Amino acid sequence: MTTFEHCVRCTLCVENCPVFKVNPAFPGPKQSGPDAQRFRMDGERSVDDWVKLCCQCKRCQVSCPYGVNVAEIILKAQLKYSREHMSPFSAHLFANTYHLGQLGSLVSPLTNAVASSGVSKKIMGILGISTGVPLPEYRFFSLARGRRRRGRFRAPRKVVFFHGCYLGFNRPDIGRGIRDLLAGLGCRVIIPRQTCCGLPALGNGDITMAGKFARKNARMLVNYIDRGYIVVYACTSCGLTLTHDYPEILQVPEGKKIAENTYNVHELILDLIEEGAVQVDFGEVDRHVAYHVPCHLRALGIGYPAAGIFEKIPGLKVTILDDNCCGLAGSYGFKKKNQKTSESLGAIAASAVRAVDADSLVSDCGACRMQLGHYAGLPALDPSEVIIASLLQSVSKKKRDRRRKAQ
Amino acid sequence: MSTHEYDAVVVGGGVSGIIACLKLNSRGFKTALISRGDPACCLSTGCIDVFSRTDSPLDGIRGLPPEHPYSLVGRKGVADALSYFLTVMDEAGLPYEGSPRKNRRILTPIGNQKTTCLVPKTMADADVPGSEHLQVISFKGLKDFYPSYITSRFRNSAFSVYDAGVATTLGIAALFDRAAFVDSFIDWLKRLEIPHDRVAIPAVLGMNDPAGVLEKVSRAIGKKVFEIPTLPPSIPGLRLFRALKRVLQNRGAHLYWGKGVASVESQGKRIEAVTLATTGRSARVQGRAFILATGSFVSGGLFASRDCVRETVFGLPVFVPGERKDWFNTDFFSDGHAIERSGIRVDRTFRPEDCRFENLFVCGSILAGCEIMRNQCGHGLAVATGTAAAGRCAEELS
Repeated sequence: MTTFEHCVRCTLCVENCPVFKVNPAFPGPKQSGPDAQRFRMDGERSVDDWVKLCCQCKRCQVSCPYGVNVAEIILKAQLKYSREHMSPFSAHLFANTYHLGQLGSLVSPLTNAVASSGVSKKIMGILGISTGVPLPEYRFFSLARGRRRRGRFRAPRKVVFFHGCYLGFNRPDIGRGIRDLLAGLGCRVIIPRQTCCGLPALGNGDITMAGKFARKNARMLVNYIDRGYIVVYACTSCGLTLTHDYPEILQVPEGKKIAENTYNVHELILDLIEEGAVQVDFGEVDRHVAYHVPCHLRALGIGYPAAGIFEKIPGLKVTILDDNCCGLAGSYGFKKKNQKTSESLGAIAASAVRAVDADSLVSDCGACRMQLGHYAGLPALDPSEVIIASLLQSVSKKKRDRRRKAQ
Repeated sequence: MSTHEYDAVVVGGGVSGIIACLKLNSRGFKTALISRGDPACCLSTGCIDVFSRTDSPLDGIRGLPPEHPYSLVGRKGVADALSYFLTVMDEAGLPYEGSPRKNRRILTPIGNQKTTCLVPKTMADADVPGSEHLQVISFKGLKDFYPSYITSRFRNSAFSVYDAGVATTLGIAALFDRAAFVDSFIDWLKRLEIPHDRVAIPAVLGMNDPAGVLEKVSRAIGKKVFEIPTLPPSIPGLRLFRALKRVLQNRGAHLYWGKGVASVESQGKRIEAVTLATTGRSARVQGRAFILATGSFVSGGLFASRDCVRETVFGLPVFVPGERKDWFNTDFFSDGHAIERSGIRVDRTFRPEDCRFENLFVCGSILAGCEIMRNQCGHGLAVATGTAAAGRCAEELS
């Protein structure tokens, strides 16, 4: 692993930093990361409050040709700063998105009504919460309340689905779609009882809570891995937390084992197809989609597996857009102090989406979909929704053909 | 471990790697590109230097030693590769201008002129004759851009400063992508009532459509306008890289970015696969042929230690000129340095010499004998050798 000492100050990270581009108060990844790191000492109180302006998109780290862990250096500085200073109320709130989600989905009609009312928007403003982009709605019938097992027991591929908070509480329909999709491709799918991956807590400076979440999930996941299951995630930020932050930042003892056995859902589907384990008949989808690649999918370094599946769908035109961060970055954009940054970045990414003249936008990340759906004014889909649409198309075509034959 | 199968796998995401990958992709091969990070081209002026020691690059190439990569590509090969580059850039929406038969000169931020060959359309009018009057525009607080460096070298020149509210090239470029900002900038320019013939602006006219912005500005004030490339973070370099990458991935090549090659699998005379150092689980990228385009020392393709120079991915034998003590030269720019000649020696098929692998090809600045600093041939060499290596690789594949 290379550290801040390997930085040659080439500024490639700065060229890739979304926040630096729009917020003059942030000195950029080179200065907040490797440059400032030389002056940070354990015994000394942090004075670099601007490190909190970093949205942890990890674009700096992906661009670095020397493999310097720029984003990680900044994350550690953020955690150190939070440990030594009082965090604002909004940070505590967003660190607990999981608990909010549990409560929110239990009394979902009430939560959604309250969250969108004018009075509560004012209250949120006082608490430092931005309402530029509507807060996600909660669903009572969360993923945990649905069917938690799917697929034959003796299926060759056993999968434990780590859906994360967004699919769990806000978009359980997408989660159920992925569950059924994997089962349809011959996997045994289990949706285990799980907590938040821990990223919101990390992003809001609460490493203790992140560690608690991580250890709880790790025990559960390793239990399955030992029984021959693999872990599958759809949310790329959860995926990055499981595979990178568990072993590296949170030092979870089972972290390495989890990282070695964790797959992106589209990576798994591509593997199944390429190994010949399943014969998939993709039906025609006559659409042009703009594929906004989430920053954390880039950071995983596994390529863009969903794009690999899209290639196989006849009629589907895909334009890949991977140069912009959507600016929401989890809870980052929901904070009042980041609102302007988030809005500017949202506008930049949305104009790139609109420029390609697509009829909808696709992204693996729930936050990207929320933000860009709002700014670009296009339907925002998860890649699995496009894949399922294609498969349903092929099923109904087969039915039609059969009926025609019977006649 | 996941395995991904391709016809050709390119290692290195700079200009030569992307061009090689594009060329193979356009011939119908399934291709992948692996890069450990962003290339040095993002830090460059975005101009394509082909050979800057003579007026005509194509004539200059004739005088190069037979082992120079240009001599291996041949003059026709170089010319074809550059015209291919021009078509690709048109497709990318970042049009370039120029011909390998004639070099041109562009203005730099320190007021001198740089010799280059193909330039982005926004620098088409950057060769300012001494007789013309020049107006330089700068932005308040813009780092590493001092207009008086330029005006002190031109007899008839002046400068004005615009306050954009931000002081970085990236920040200003993001503003120029908004039509409203462009309009207010134009209003300000009009109010200046510039008496001069040409207007020079640092290269910040947006990321998305700089040629469009330039044309709008130029039409509004009725003068020739051009961009001056800045020091890094350099917008024209970044535009070049992003445009090439955009074309490549939207033509269906697969990109693996941010993680390097961790290990190489070979059997006898063939490289079978490379393993990626992804987060957590590693992935195998399998190919029938491989192209190495990892660049020279700065980009990490070559690594010099006290006792030797290594090639970092496949461990290929590296040519090093003479003894370490002979590499020193007190003049940094004019003659170049002996160490610049080091790199991978290839035969006419762009396969590395003294190497057992038959399905490996090499292109770009990692090649031995380029002497990029001396000949000023960086991107031109990348384009020419990338195209040539892809051509040989395509022969191997079919």
